[in-house]
Amino acid sequence: MPESKQQPVIETRGLRKVFRDFWRRPTVEAVKGLDLTVNDGEVFGLLGPNGSGKSTTIKMLLGLLRPTAGAVRVLGAAPDDTRAKARIGYLPEVSHLHPFLTPRETLLYYASLFGMPRGEAARRTRELLAMVDLEHAADRAVGGFSKGMARRVGLAQALVNAPALLVLDEPTSGLDPIGSREVKDLVCALARGGVTVLMTSHLLADVEDVCDRVAILERGVLRAEGKIAELLRQPDAVRFEVEGLDEPSAAAVRAELETRTGRRVRQEYPAMSLERYFLQVVAQDGRQRAFAIAPFLNTPPPPNS
Amino acid sequence: MTRMTNDAQNRNAAAASARRIGGVAVLAVRAALRTRTVAALLALLAACVLVLPGVVKGDGTPEGELHILLTYTLGFAFGLLCLATLWAACALFAAEIDSARMQLSAVKPVCAAEFWVGKWLALLALNAAALLAVYAGVYSQVRWRMHRDGWEVIERPVSRHVTRPLLPTPREEARDTLADLRARNELPQGYSERTILRVLEEKAHEKYTEIPPGGRQSWRFRLSRPLYADEAVTARLRFETEYNTRAQVSGICRLGSVETARAVEVPLDDFTLKEIEFDVEARAFGQVPAAGLRTFELSFAHTGDAQRAAGLLLRFRKDVALLTPGGSFWMNLMRAAAVHWSVLALLAAFGLTLSVCFSLPVAAFVATVLLVLTMVGNSVVQVVSEEDAQKWSNRAGVLVSRTVHGATRRALQAEPLAALTNGERLDAGMLRVSLGWNALLLPLLLAAAGCAVLRRRELADTE
Repeated sequence: MPESKQQPVIETRGLRKVFRDFWRRPTVEAVKGLDLTVNDGEVFGLLGPNGSGKSTTIKMLLGLLRPTAGAVRVLGAAPDDTRAKARIGYLPEVSHLHPFLTPRETLLYYASLFGMPRGEAARRTRELLAMVDLEHAADRAVGGFSKGMARRVGLAQALVNAPALLVLDEPTSGLDPIGSREVKDLVCALARGGVTVLMTSHLLADVEDVCDRVAILERGVLRAEGKIAELLRQPDAVRFEVEGLDEPSAAAVRAELETRTGRRVRQEYPAMSLERYFLQVVAQDGRQRAFAIAPFLNTPPPPNS
Repeated sequence: MTRMTNDAQNRNAAAASARRIGGVAVLAVRAALRTRTVAALLALLAACVLVLPGVVKGDGTPEGELHILLTYTLGFAFGLLCLATLWAACALFAAEIDSARMQLSAVKPVCAAEFWVGKWLALLALNAAALLAVYAGVYSQVRWRMHRDGWEVIERPVSRHVTRPLLPTPREEARDTLADLRARNELPQGYSERTILRVLEEKAHEKYTEIPPGGRQSWRFRLSRPLYADEAVTARLRFETEYNTRAQVSGICRLGSVETARAVEVPLDDFTLKEIEFDVEARAFGQVPAAGLRTFELSFAHTGDAQRAAGLLLRFRKDVALLTPGGSFWMNLMRAAAVHWSVLALLAAFGLTLSVCFSLPVAAFVATVLLVLTMVGNSVVQVVSEEDAQKWSNRAGVLVSRTVHGATRRALQAEPLAALTNGERLDAGMLRVSLGWNALLLPLLLAAAGCAVLRRRELADTE
């Protein structure tokens, strides 16, 4: 991942959200004084158990919910500023697509909401449909799609404006391991192109694969924040990995280390992750593919103004 | 240079805004066309136009058939469209917000007004298409029946300008009466002058004046459009009184042109019908100037027996009129369609604003209750007496009825179906008021309210 340019794209200070019932009585405090900064070009992961306030935070960042207290700036503006909205792409946890529209109509509709000329909208729609491998189903109603296919349409609509900030709420939810891998690869490719990504996920492996930094929320409170490598580092332990070492040599190395340190040394044969194994098997079957990023997305986003 | 750049930016911004509004409108049209509800509505409208005229039996006369086609068919179809428009409008925002689909649209750079206008335009377009189809269907039915039954020229539907006598307005008359009562110190006790003025104005609208045997009454008319040499003017007297009150009435009508100072006299002795009409060719008034004839005087002299005949009761503002050619029946149908379209535009705006404020069931319930209140309110205001209105048990109901009536009076004042049935051309003024009030001014106010709510409303919840 590229080093972040340290320009804040998202900034919250003392962000708080209290939900109220019909009689305006407070029912739950979902977010409690959250201070968060996401920098330009980062892939930032927002983690936490159910009910920790991740989605509420995202909805406040997008202007769908109003903070009870605190300040929010997204791309240098308030969340309901249309200039900021023009540079944001959003994929909600559930895709919420119109079931009677086809993927092509869906993308044309969302492109029209950005005020895009029809020719440009049609071109981007074509490229995005190719990117998410839905050209074969481009003219079928979305209502009949599987969750994974609907997710792909949702992802495509989030990219139709070539966003500078991409907000993904559980982006791999409902996708099979191949689709999940494709999405993660796409996120990495977009980040390489300078797009800032804020994502939430229950799947910690997904976050670990793609995020530069993470924040962990629990019951609306920020419990930890930092670069993944720094958060996960165990400074009192060292691990060596050597390929093709035979058993006698390994035993000799272990004995030498135990002699020198006076501590017990653990010897393991590392296993690949199940995801990697699955993808290898499927790749042998010739079914694995990668999202070929839509050409219009290769144009770098405009500078943060 | 800077100004040119600004102009170009403004043009681009306007074009982008138009595309956003267009996108929202197209989505709403697709949503409507791809649901079964619209298919059901279209089937009902088709049944209205094609089946209803065959089911409802008329009196066998062309006039009766025309009445059924114009009043029942168009009235029923319009009622269906009113309900469909109101409920569809209630669903447009509410269903999208309830299903969380609005979230995806709301995070795009679209302002509240663009959402509101886009959805409203979609409803306007759908209503225009539906009304055009219904009115074209009714027109085809009229043409087909005319051809099948060989209607006489006099029986065929027409469109005529209606000119009423030059009289003080009901408000002016009410003010004069009030001033007179005040001067004589005879104002009713216990009522405010405002209430008295309102009652007097209502009475002035419906006031009957008697022309006794031996009496004579004349009215002056100023046509909105001149009468040319090759045209005819029709004088019309209408009676909504019991037949026995005019059994022995006879008289002479005299219609004269003020410009040529010549008149035509027509003796009238058959008052059995509820309406008397007679035509006079413009040439009968002498040499018609190139600019045509505009000012006429109509008089009625009661020549009935003073012992046996009753006085003739007429509401001068309503029952006496001059009719002149006013274009084709088809164009008059289109004017009526425009009035109906304007009412639907208002209902669409009303439903949309409710839809922004409430969930779908609540919005639909509130809309239906207010629609019923509007219909009931107008009737209550017409029938309730001032004494009844003073009773404590009636006060709340009368207050609500009067408020609803006051708010909707101007919006609903045009009665296109009555005009069509009577062969009266819907005049441009009424059309302007209907379109301006129902399709522009009130929707603008409702849009402002709806957009203010939409900007403040949270579009997500705890889920």
